[in-house]
Amino acid sequence: MTDTTTTPAYSETPEEREFELRASIGSYWTGGRLFIGMFTFLLASEAFAYFYLRSSNSGQLWRPRNVTAPTGIGWSIYAVVLVSSVLVIYGQWRMRRGSVIDWEVAGWTAVLGGLVALGLQIWQLTQLPFYPGSSGYASCFIGWAVMNIMMLFGATFWIETVLARSLRLRKVAADDGPVQLGGSPQAQIFRANVSACTYFWGFVAVASTLFWVMFYLI
Amino acid sequence: MTDTAPTPSAHQPAGPPSAEPRHFWRMFAIWIVLSAILDPLFYFLVGPHVPPGTMTSSAAENQLDFNILFVIALPVILAVWVYLGYSIIMWRASRKDAPEPVGGEAARTNLRVQTAWITVTSVIVLFLAGFGTYELIQNYGAGGGQGPNPIWKPTASHILPVQVIGQQWKFTYRYPTYGGFETQQLILPADTTIAFHVTSLDVIHSFWAYQLSIKADANPQVDNVAYTTTRQLGRFTVRCSELCGLWHGAMYNFGQVVPKAQFDSWARQTELTTAANTRLLPPFAWTYVPDANGAGGGYYNNTVDPYSPSEVYGARQPAS
Amino acid sequence: MTISAERESEVAYPDPTPPHAGGIQGWTSRPGWLSQHLGTAIVGAVAGYLIGHWLGNVIASGYNYVANSGVNAIANTGGLLLGALGWLIGIGALNYPLAKMVGMEPAPEQETTSWTRYFRYTADHKVVGLQYVIGVLLFLFTGGLLAMAIRTELLSPTSHVFGPGTYISIVSEHGTMMMMMATSAVVGPLGNWLVPIMIGARRTAFPRIEAFSFWIFSAGYLVILTALPYGGFPTGWTGYAPLQTQASGGMMSYLVGFALIGSGMMAAGFNLAVTIVNYRAPGMTWSRVPIFVWSILATCALLTLATPTLVAAGLFGILDHTAQTAFYVNEHGGSSYLWENLFWFFGHPEVYIMALPGFGIVGEILPVFTRKPLFAYKVAAAGMVGVALLSFFVWQHHLFQSGINPDMRPLFMLTTELISIPTGFIFLVGMGTLYKAKIRFEVPMLFALALFFNFLIGGVTGVFLSDVPVNVTVHGGFFVLSHFHYTIMGGLIFALFGGLYFWLPKMTGKTMNKKLGQIHFWMMFIFFNLTFFPMFIIGLLGQPRRVFEYQQNLQALNDFSSVSAFILGSSFLVFIANFAWSIFIKPTPAPPNPWNSLGLEWQTASPVPYYNFERIPVVLTDPYRYGEEGAPPVADLGEELVGAGAGPRAGTSTGETSATSAE
Repeated sequence: MTDTTTTPAYSETPEEREFELRASIGSYWTGGRLFIGMFTFLLASEAFAYFYLRSSNSGQLWRPRNVTAPTGIGWSIYAVVLVSSVLVIYGQWRMRRGSVIDWEVAGWTAVLGGLVALGLQIWQLTQLPFYPGSSGYASCFIGWAVMNIMMLFGATFWIETVLARSLRLRKVAADDGPVQLGGSPQAQIFRANVSACTYFWGFVAVASTLFWVMFYLI
Repeated sequence: MTDTAPTPSAHQPAGPPSAEPRHFWRMFAIWIVLSAILDPLFYFLVGPHVPPGTMTSSAAENQLDFNILFVIALPVILAVWVYLGYSIIMWRASRKDAPEPVGGEAARTNLRVQTAWITVTSVIVLFLAGFGTYELIQNYGAGGGQGPNPIWKPTASHILPVQVIGQQWKFTYRYPTYGGFETQQLILPADTTIAFHVTSLDVIHSFWAYQLSIKADANPQVDNVAYTTTRQLGRFTVRCSELCGLWHGAMYNFGQVVPKAQFDSWARQTELTTAANTRLLPPFAWTYVPDANGAGGGYYNNTVDPYSPSEVYGARQPAS
Repeated sequence: MTISAERESEVAYPDPTPPHAGGIQGWTSRPGWLSQHLGTAIVGAVAGYLIGHWLGNVIASGYNYVANSGVNAIANTGGLLLGALGWLIGIGALNYPLAKMVGMEPAPEQETTSWTRYFRYTADHKVVGLQYVIGVLLFLFTGGLLAMAIRTELLSPTSHVFGPGTYISIVSEHGTMMMMMATSAVVGPLGNWLVPIMIGARRTAFPRIEAFSFWIFSAGYLVILTALPYGGFPTGWTGYAPLQTQASGGMMSYLVGFALIGSGMMAAGFNLAVTIVNYRAPGMTWSRVPIFVWSILATCALLTLATPTLVAAGLFGILDHTAQTAFYVNEHGGSSYLWENLFWFFGHPEVYIMALPGFGIVGEILPVFTRKPLFAYKVAAAGMVGVALLSFFVWQHHLFQSGINPDMRPLFMLTTELISIPTGFIFLVGMGTLYKAKIRFEVPMLFALALFFNFLIGGVTGVFLSDVPVNVTVHGGFFVLSHFHYTIMGGLIFALFGGLYFWLPKMTGKTMNKKLGQIHFWMMFIFFNLTFFPMFIIGLLGQPRRVFEYQQNLQALNDFSSVSAFILGSSFLVFIANFAWSIFIKPTPAPPNPWNSLGLEWQTASPVPYYNFERIPVVLTDPYRYGEEGAPPVADLGEELVGAGAGPRAGTSTGETSATSAE
């Protein structure tokens, strides 16, 4: 039992440094998956609302006259999100093969895509052919639009911070080689972050597909 | 939450058997004596008075169900209390020459005790679930609201339907077999199977006829059905048991179970005297959609277009 | 005044780049009065509220339904949401996300011993833990005052102290505040403070998310308080839908408040779950993790996965009030059952969010005061995981009489009763640990034993409630009210106070007065039971919940309950006096390990250094080896062993240091 009244200075042995690094990388891995789990339950609540109201169809008002949200904008949002997700995943694949610039270009394009999709989603809300409270479908659509804005904002913010970090790391840690490839602790943690972010973009693509089918196809 | 009896017994070999008192048997003896005294005392002295009484079939069955649960639960509670009390007295540190506890593997885990515990709890729990399910089905939903499509229906040839309409903050009743008149008095015939059709005009209420052992939430636009068979004459209390706003606490009234003939004459009499009112009421239906500016609370006003086609005065015919 | 008033403030960093700093000294928090603290948060909140409210009025004042109703839900919501945002900006929660957008990572936080750190946004989990202690107690005592008001009104069946509107607002506010508080009651204070130290970590995985969880929790507290000046809300803590849609004013505080508290719960659970999985010290295998950490892990799984449903349900409610959607409006294609299902899909796991940490605390306290190892450790851990899993499959037992399709009823009766098997494991653990023990009746132990007494009653009555036929009589009455007060207050709150008496000496370095502690315990224990036990009978005799008028013949029981409740309430004054006296006014320094515990959290220096451990400990065994000759110490804290790189976890992890393992 250490019974001291003065605290010794903080220091790290190489083993501890290694331990902290492993824990940090592991945290990105676990955290990324858990974050997806959280979002899954959030979106599952929306999907539950959709199917619950659809099946109960109270007052025959689930979806009178088969109203649909503006399809052109909806399909565009879906296409942009899908392309951005594919770009993010492809970019990471390229980065692992050593092409840092490909990842950066793909990433910044995805940021742009995310922003465009966000803008389209907000614009779509001003173009609805139905009143929000006019039917179950209308309500669920508004709910999904809000969640989609949250999800796209999160994904875009995340990939943007990763890209900004890579730019800054390049200036700081240039002697270690390109940070996206190097073996320094910073580079390893950075890649764990990229990996978790890419995983989330994959999730965004899957979720967007599901809700696109729900709101525009069936 | 179960019989603790096996816990100490398996520990027994751990201590020196000669010096140690036989803790398990002592506890077991206290426990069995207490249970043997208190269980019958409860069942025979308190049991017949346990709410909700025996005024209806569902009340009687639910009372029996409660008593059976209690007779099983009491020994479980006693077992834990006896064990806790015994440990606190026998194994307190302030006791003279209290021995040092022995740690090690034997004190950390004991397969027999753990298996016994899990087995006993599982058996009790599965028995209770099975028994509850049996009572629920055999008793036609046990007086609980079964929703619009009940699956456990009474087999009686003659069932009296009574509609219960909850609104902020009173219950009214309609008798469809007597021209659908509406009244604030719930009068029921004795020895009759009754189907309560519970619905609401505004928010969620819960129709709780306490002595009848009926509880069914009153949901707007839902026909929530609950069954019971009346057995005894007498008065009963109706309360709202789901928070429904400002005067929820004052939302109660009283009903009465009367002989069949008396009920019949009352119903025919009331049908006649209220005939003028009944004509002004919406035609009888299982659910009602109030006007948006009416009982719905005036939340949506109907000057905005497009709006729902269901904004009509009065009732709509049942979907089924 | 603070943890380490006598501590050296001079700190040297031999290594300029601590591991998680990333080496960029881009953004530092400014010290001094001008930096961000509680004061700027309040300014931000007020400014945000005013802007949001003004904005809402600008947006919506032209709408018919707003002009006619006199209540503008959009302005309310805007004010509350922007107020919360202003609060977060004011405290500095957004500094880091914004710095990240330009690629910066924060510099390591300057270690400080100044008392002002308790009013700041800080990455030190010990400071956040103590902030939570105060926050949760404030929450609890506010809710408790409302409970006193309820019991005052129920003194008489007919003559009233409050009008019905005031009364229903008090009831709703009491329920909502207590539920919000209870979800974070243990995870917040004790979870944040203890878990990293118990697993031998120097930090949590995401310290800023952790700080965020506290500050949004406190924002939730302020938001739910605004319900009262807004005129209250009539729905109780369950917020059932048509009534929710009908209500206005304080209803928005309820919905926004729950959404904020929900975000805080997710953040706290997320951070601690990731920390437990990744930051366990070398040698801290899953079979050596303290039982409290298991309980927090199970709780965090529920917090992160069940709470999003609450946030979604709240979001739908907010949209119903502001954007005029119709999620919960039957007449427009919505369904009031949707709220009931979403709410209880969250609400039932939430019940176990409140129960499990209490079990964990008791599991830590028992071995120390019995001088025996924890009995059936693996069963206890499995039970907690089992409860967490099963709790997702029982929610419809809240809807037995609601008119949903009846065919699921036997199934949910079965799952509900099944969950009592893993819940019952805590009794197996407790009773096995007491067997042939040497029980010391210190204050924490008294609270732990009380949990077994109370939770037994709460648990057994839960079986009555799960039985559908009996449920017909007891649902929605005082019986169920008493049941959940026995589980949540009798379980969680007793465990929380036991835990506070147990760990506060380590957390604050001060000893709590034993005599006052004993008075507090006996008052609380006796009058808790005298308050709530009669309510089982009141419920069986036919008194529904949340009423202000009841049968004349129940007045005697109600009055008995009320008077007991007043004494129960005043028992907390004893605690407050003890807390104020022992911690602030006449502090008595606590020895580093007053209870002579083997737990890792007691082995580190006292007061606990900023980085918790001088060296990352190498865990050698579980912390329950009492009464065992020649048992090894729980962990090696010295430099020599760490230098040797011992410990299975360190050994394996160093082997896989390759660039691709990041994936």
